[in-house]
Amino acid sequence: MDKIINVENLGFDYGEGWVFHDLNLYIEAGDFVAVVGANGAGKSTLLKLLAGILAPDRGRIFFYGRPLPEFKEWERVGYVPQNPARQQKGFPISVEEVVALGLLSPQRLRGPLTAKERGQVAACLDRFDLRKLSGRRLGELSGGQQQRAFLARAMVKKPSILLLDEPASGVDARAKAALYQLLRQLNEDGVTIVMVSHDLELAAQAARHALCLDHGICFWGPAVSALTHHHRHGTFL
Amino acid sequence: MPIPELWAMDFMRRAFLAGLIMGAVCPLIGTFLVLRRQSLIGDGLGHLAFAGVAAGALAGVNGVLSAAAACIAGALAIELVRRKLPEAADMVLAVFFYSGMGLAAVFLSLNRTGGFSLSGLLFGSLLTVGPEDLWLIGALALAIVLFIALFYRPLQYLAFDEVCAQVAGLPVGKLNLLLAFLTALTVALSMRIVGLLLVAAMLVLPVAAALQTAKSFAATLKQSVAYGLAAVSLGLTVSYYTDLAPGGSIVLTGGFFFALSFVLARLRRKGRTVEQRCSVCGEEVAEERNEDEQAR
Repeated sequence: MDKIINVENLGFDYGEGWVFHDLNLYIEAGDFVAVVGANGAGKSTLLKLLAGILAPDRGRIFFYGRPLPEFKEWERVGYVPQNPARQQKGFPISVEEVVALGLLSPQRLRGPLTAKERGQVAACLDRFDLRKLSGRRLGELSGGQQQRAFLARAMVKKPSILLLDEPASGVDARAKAALYQLLRQLNEDGVTIVMVSHDLELAAQAARHALCLDHGICFWGPAVSALTHHHRHGTFL
Repeated sequence: MPIPELWAMDFMRRAFLAGLIMGAVCPLIGTFLVLRRQSLIGDGLGHLAFAGVAAGALAGVNGVLSAAAACIAGALAIELVRRKLPEAADMVLAVFFYSGMGLAAVFLSLNRTGGFSLSGLLFGSLLTVGPEDLWLIGALALAIVLFIALFYRPLQYLAFDEVCAQVAGLPVGKLNLLLAFLTALTVALSMRIVGLLLVAAMLVLPVAAALQTAKSFAATLKQSVAYGLAAVSLGLTVSYYTDLAPGGSIVLTGGFFFALSFVLARLRRKGRTVEQRCSVCGEEVAEERNEDEQAR
């Protein structure tokens, strides 16, 4: 398997001491990794470093063998931040418009959507079961529907890596199960997923591997083993 | 068909044309500002422009040029500081707003000779718009329409989710600076013609009215422009027949449209909520319907 994400001696400090330092890991193509840990353990920080939102204070991150500042093929990476809809509750935007935003890139910046792009958006709305809601204002939808719209935005360009920050937060139990089912399906279709979650029980049902953080890696292995370890020793969360 | 009395005079035709251009252009750019929680940027830049005019009068420099320089420098500085403090965009605006007022007060106290009309700056003189003013506003409008037409979608992404736009590799910094530059130019060039009050109000009021009912970003943009054009047409007509100040009349009409849109949106929502009450227990079932749709 190809190592598509490689992290070497990574360290980050918000100015109040290391969140983590000397973090080393690699993620293979087709993997589904759940990043778990207690609040403040550095889960979201790691994801923001992988997405290029934060710059590391030490160490390097490689995507497809290229270090992050030189890596320019961001259309191969989809990113869904934590609670995106809650931050923009009253924003007047339809589901279709949200999904279409995912097509923008430095190469495709100007002008309206082309017929081909409209087709891509329509196909993505169908894939994520959003066709009937396409004209609805995002803020009118339930948490699960909003999260699907953001997933569709991240997936409309068919990236090979998907970075998710707590995708199930603010989503009811039934919608949560449907969301994990959808993520598993995407992973089976070949998308490599790195997902931050505080719910190891649920994450372990979908993910192949678990990365448990506590200011550094405290467990890295099959997700089921992480769950067993957690049940036995009550660690990680 | 006879021409209405108010259209028969050259100065009224020019006033209408200048007003309608502003009524369309200000909400176009204002939509992006309001949705980025920068509704008061028109006011903030207006105070900097005021300081610019006062400094120009003191130094013997053309007021429009000194106002434009102050506005552009201020808008770029606001944008650069906002980037460092993204969670406090309103506070950054307030800092520049008060600094502009302070500077204007200092420059005014140093000026013993006058050189500009405070009332003209604040309320403009729509009825004295000349052909060269129309060319100036027309050129500004063309630049803004072209900018929005070209970069409508990336600007929409920036307003909605700047972090994800950055992850997608969009030139976030450059686009933000361009938007700030055009906003500054709009305030500075329109100030003398339609007044600071009208520019700042037209950046916000039509957008506020559209936001009550629009379901999408495109609809917000279209409805904002429609409200802007309607506010100018109705406000200027009322002002002509009642001999009220044109700028103030337009702004009050914009405020009236917001109130109307606010009430209508609430009435419509109330009606819809009644439909979604359970016929047995009377409980509201809106949320459950959403979840049902999701299950389907």
